[in-house]
Amino acid sequence: MSLSNKQEKEISFLDSFASLILHPFQNLFTQSIKSVSDGVNHYLDLVNISKENDRLKSEVERLINEKNELIERISGQKRVAALMVYQKDRKKDSLVASVIGRDATQWSKVVFINKGTRDGVKNQLAVVTKLGVIGQIIHSGFTTSKVLLTIDSRSAIDAVFQQSRVSGVVVGTGDQQCQVKFVPNTAKVQVGDRVLSSGLGGVFPKGLVIGTVSQVVRKKQGLFQEITLTPSSDFSNLEEVLVFLS
Amino acid sequence: MYYIAQILIVILLFSIQTTWLGMFSIGGVIPDLALIWVVFCAVHYSRTVGIGSGIVIGILQDSLSGGLLGVNTLSKSFIGFFFSALKDKFFVEGILPIAFFLAISSLFDGLVFYLSINTVLEGGITTSFLYQSLPIYSFYNALVGPVIFLVLNRTNNWLNSKIQDPYMSRTN
Repeated sequence: MSLSNKQEKEISFLDSFASLILHPFQNLFTQSIKSVSDGVNHYLDLVNISKENDRLKSEVERLINEKNELIERISGQKRVAALMVYQKDRKKDSLVASVIGRDATQWSKVVFINKGTRDGVKNQLAVVTKLGVIGQIIHSGFTTSKVLLTIDSRSAIDAVFQQSRVSGVVVGTGDQQCQVKFVPNTAKVQVGDRVLSSGLGGVFPKGLVIGTVSQVVRKKQGLFQEITLTPSSDFSNLEEVLVFLS
Repeated sequence: MYYIAQILIVILLFSIQTTWLGMFSIGGVIPDLALIWVVFCAVHYSRTVGIGSGIVIGILQDSLSGGLLGVNTLSKSFIGFFFSALKDKFFVEGILPIAFFLAISSLFDGLVFYLSINTVLEGGITTSFLYQSLPIYSFYNALVGPVIFLVLNRTNNWLNSKIQDPYMSRTN
């Protein structure tokens, strides 16, 4: 009995001593294992978060693209709707077309539209926007057509001044402006006067807006005035146009 | 295969030229990628290829524009011939010689257009074209050209590493 008791006392003392020595190390190891484990867990969480972040980023990009597409579609619809209203007002057989390309050289002012003979488009048809005259078809392919813009140096449209009813010929300069030729020096033309198509020539119907006068030069010598015209349409931002089929 | 790759490059250049290049216009003037391509071919390949590319690109440009048929064919084939001959006399490396070549070829191209429209067609291109649009055109091509040359060089080097270049094998 006494031996057993003595052994128990020795074990208890050894146990306590060992515990005392080991405790800090055990704590240290436990803590380090815990922190490593936490670190691994955090890392795994971060990997997941990073993946989630990438997924959300691509989702945001997709949504932004979708939003832009929708905005673009809505603005396209608005433009087409405005053209349709104009089309109804004109009571003419016409066709809405999209501009799909520009001239391969930059000196000719020509655009390509996505309608051709398949859609009833043929040469020498008037092309307009709600702002006014754009040009005329000079070549109609099966699915696409070429439109000679009024600012091209080969374009000529018989025109009339809205106020004075004096007639002249609007010719392109190859720049962003046109000139009105053959207007007598005696005719009363002022800056800001609106110029319309006269209907002569058989391509453009009467009364379509071509542009407004931006400069008038009357020379003492010479029969005609030098008139510069700013086209009513913006040729650098053509997207949808209307082709008059008759 | 090499020819198909070259055709694809030309199609790409024309597609860019006729669609969104207009967004970068300065005073209504944009760089002429077709012209840059012709000068590139004239400088990098044999005289035959230089003239040939000028004729082909010119015909394509004429058919894709509403201009007088043949104007671009004439000017581009001349440019192809002239610069493929000139490259033997000059050392065409680096930005400045390329920019100079492009500026000269742009001036020539614009002058051919101006003269042909105003004489043959009796068109009404104003003289302001000569001192406004033409210098901008020339400067713009000279500015953009070296960058496009670099891209085309890289593309051609990559193509050469993948496919045998028949032009090079012929000239060498």
